[in-house]
Amino acid sequence: MMNLKLKRREFLQLMGWSTAGATLAGCDLPTTVTLEEGKEEVVAYLSPEEYVIPGVGVWYASTCLQCAAGCGIHGRVREGRALKLEGNPDSPVNRGKLCQMGQSGVQTHYNPDRLSKPQLRKDGKLVDISWDEAWKVLDEKVGAAAKTSGARVAWFTGTVSGHQAALIGEHLDALGSRHHFVHEVINNAVGRAVNQDVLGEAMPRLALDQAKLVLSFGADFLGTWVSPTHFATEYAKFRSGTRGVLVVAEPKMSLTGANADLWLAVRPGTEGMLALGIAHALMQSGVSVPDAARPAVAAYAPVKAAEITGISAQRIEQVAALLKQHSPSLVLAGATVEGQEQGYQAASAVMLLNVMLGNVGQTIVSSGEFPFPQLRPRTGNTRDLVAFAAAAKDKALDVAFFYGTNPVYTAPASLGLAEGLQNIPFKVVLTQFPDETAAQADLVLPVASSLEDWGTHVAAYQPEQGVITFQQPLMEGLYPGTPGVGDALLKLLKMREAQKYGAFNDYFSYLQNAVASLPEQYKASGLTNKQLWEQTLQKGLLTVDSAPGSLKTNVGEITLHEVKADAEYPLHLIPSPRLGLWDGRHANIPWLQEAPDQISKVVWDSWAELHPSTAARLGVREGDVVEITSAHGAIKVKVYVFKGVHPDAIAVPLGQGHEGYGRYANGIGANPLKILSPAIEARTGELALYGTRVKATRTGVHEELVKEGRNNISQRSRKLVVTISAEQFRRTEGV
Amino acid sequence: MSLENLTQDWSRYRNGIEEGGFHNYEHRWGMAIDLNACIGCNACSTACYAENNLAVVGKERFSKGHYMHWMRIERYWDEDQAKAEFPDQGANFLPMLCQQCGAAPCEPVCPVAATYHTPDGLNAQVYNRCIGSRYCSNNCPYRVRYFNFWSYPESAWPAPLNLQLNPDITVRDKGVMEKCTFCVQRIRVAKDTAKMENRKIKDGEFTTACAQACPTSAIHFGDLMDAESAVTKLWAKHQVKRHDDEGLPVSTQHKQNPALRGYRVLEELNTDPSVMYLERVREELA
Repeated sequence: MMNLKLKRREFLQLMGWSTAGATLAGCDLPTTVTLEEGKEEVVAYLSPEEYVIPGVGVWYASTCLQCAAGCGIHGRVREGRALKLEGNPDSPVNRGKLCQMGQSGVQTHYNPDRLSKPQLRKDGKLVDISWDEAWKVLDEKVGAAAKTSGARVAWFTGTVSGHQAALIGEHLDALGSRHHFVHEVINNAVGRAVNQDVLGEAMPRLALDQAKLVLSFGADFLGTWVSPTHFATEYAKFRSGTRGVLVVAEPKMSLTGANADLWLAVRPGTEGMLALGIAHALMQSGVSVPDAARPAVAAYAPVKAAEITGISAQRIEQVAALLKQHSPSLVLAGATVEGQEQGYQAASAVMLLNVMLGNVGQTIVSSGEFPFPQLRPRTGNTRDLVAFAAAAKDKALDVAFFYGTNPVYTAPASLGLAEGLQNIPFKVVLTQFPDETAAQADLVLPVASSLEDWGTHVAAYQPEQGVITFQQPLMEGLYPGTPGVGDALLKLLKMREAQKYGAFNDYFSYLQNAVASLPEQYKASGLTNKQLWEQTLQKGLLTVDSAPGSLKTNVGEITLHEVKADAEYPLHLIPSPRLGLWDGRHANIPWLQEAPDQISKVVWDSWAELHPSTAARLGVREGDVVEITSAHGAIKVKVYVFKGVHPDAIAVPLGQGHEGYGRYANGIGANPLKILSPAIEARTGELALYGTRVKATRTGVHEELVKEGRNNISQRSRKLVVTISAEQFRRTEGV
Repeated sequence: MSLENLTQDWSRYRNGIEEGGFHNYEHRWGMAIDLNACIGCNACSTACYAENNLAVVGKERFSKGHYMHWMRIERYWDEDQAKAEFPDQGANFLPMLCQQCGAAPCEPVCPVAATYHTPDGLNAQVYNRCIGSRYCSNNCPYRVRYFNFWSYPESAWPAPLNLQLNPDITVRDKGVMEKCTFCVQRIRVAKDTAKMENRKIKDGEFTTACAQACPTSAIHFGDLMDAESAVTKLWAKHQVKRHDDEGLPVSTQHKQNPALRGYRVLEELNTDPSVMYLERVREELA
């Protein structure tokens, strides 16, 4: 029962619905029955629980948390077990579809390496303790910090949104701290900054289905960029009917590049110059250039751009001609562009093409503003990782909470994060698994899996109206006592503000109250609070109007500097993300370890992609182990010789090289993130993830790479995959 | 069903093909896979692992070819690119699963009739009849039969991973051949439900795990006996027909308009697959 004396505005803030300042109609405070209250009733199994029919699966809507895209899922539950996940057809993000990482959510949930008991560091070692002791220690330590200086408490999380984000915010507010660090290795933080500055919105809507041509500079929108499953559904529309043209320019072939009509192996770090070269060719053919960008465009005639980028002037002019011919188009910049020291400038050069071609307003449209700031996603980046490492080094923090991220694994060794953590006296890790970060913790709190937990989520990329997706437990927790993330946050808040949060027995009742107190204008009319709650859970989402506006086209000056050769370290290291192991978080999922990489078809391993010409120069062939050395460390990886990588580049996929994770992850391959330089992108402060120079040397060791299909890379003239021209396709199937 | 009956049924079917058609089907489950839409992402393959209790075998056994992916994505590089510096047109992805052949090379070689043709037009594998001769796998031109060289239940599903196992189907043990079933457990549920409701199965009321997951909807599944099903219409649109639809001899190709994209992989072997592929499409930009 809610029994609070709060002002309306305070109440809305408590429930996560605070808005910019609109006054809202009043609503009744809801009455809720909590999960806890049902406990005392003993029901014989003769009258089984509703929906539990032996042999019959029942589907429940929830949200996938395997990456931050926020896909809706339906989970099949039979006899109390979650068995299979499918996409939720009602979700505008994935429209009933689900990628391999989403499919693997059940293996994250049932993973044999999940933690079941809290652990406390005693005499230097983590030992199992009881939950009572864990909460007591937590109360004492955070209480002590709150008394001296609550501002020295920090949260370090992956991308979070919805009511969990709101509660983290409230927890920090209660302590008087502003330290919420949000970290993701796979992000589009630089692109968001460019979008914000040029268009006035960090993440506008991209109408891929409206585009006649998509030109992607390393934006792997089918694999790892922003909302891959969503863009794959849109890609299907883009490729049907009049069939759009896909051109991809990147130094290492991504999944998107593997589906291109024209794939361009651009010299690493010169994508911005290639964009300016194309802009120059467009200018020559009469397309107007915004004044501010004119000097930059004028400086890169196709012949000059060709010299720098390795893409011939003829190709550059061809791409410009294609862009003119197929209008509207859509030009995207991804991680390889953003992850340079001049990534912001390079991504601006890519955005310039959209402005010149008139795509803004056609294929790039406003997504409006999500109305509830407390619930908006805190999108992850690497700037916060750098800032956190610095804060740790400077002894600026007393208590740090970690959730949804594994920075000890993802941080380059050059940031000195692992050493810096020694300076934080009390580190709490909320995690499902023992991992590299948990190994450094003072207190490890196991949390419920995403299939056992309640939550609300707001995706950073909203394809239609603003949508809050709901997460509900598909089954009882496997490990009794293990709290959900929201429950753990509520407990922490009760320790600080018992009066404000004491009324909520658990996160379930908090969320139920939250839905009931949703401002009236967002509620479908005629529904009681109970009906609204049930409908929301059934659909798995709540739609709120995000009032799209219009975008600006505010192009600034673009300044790109020459990419200098490095005699000692001649190769550019490309730490390439994989749809599968992602940033390493899914390395302990056996299905994903055994799922062949889409391009190389390698399983259970790391590899270094080298162009045949580079491999010949180094005198290595497939399976030879090379040592890849940067100024900040070295890793050893097997060579995979492959033409889809620029000769100046060496690509090592992310995800492997775990030392303190689970049984399926440990001791496999190497982690390229470890040897990255700490160089940062000049404008945004993001780590220049693709800016590290390395050299590769033979070690003389040879080990076969395990691949699906072995060395069958040619169809040997058999009619296995038949290709026809797009022209013929349009004649017979075009609309 | 005795062994004799089975072999008789089979030879009746086999002769039927040669003599102009076998029409005793209840359903003919079929697929159409659009290679213009397929992006090679692997979602179908992992969905299959989740649905069909496929064992993870680990790196060493994988290297020996002991893997179990009933649905795999083959990846080829353009042959005319062999001398080029870069693969200018990306990769060729081919989702490969059991083609549920009408004239299946795997069926006649089984010494114990563990693999046989169902009235649904499927190549079924009877696990508890299989003795592991592997003749079927040897005879399959698509390499889509997977043999349990080891007993995987302990190693592939350490507790509590075993709780994820789909109770609608078995977990196969050592010495048994297994393969794609077109999610026969889903077919079973759909048939039973339709029967209880005294109606026919509606097109689209269920689909296979791979088709359901596919982010680009490249995989279409349905009943080729149902004239109104989406998959039948696709086959008709692309002028691909099952061999016995019109009592034609197996070697006759039906396609009148060669510009249409439908084809079946290795159809020249007269296996009469139930899976039609639609050709990959690329701009000619050279």
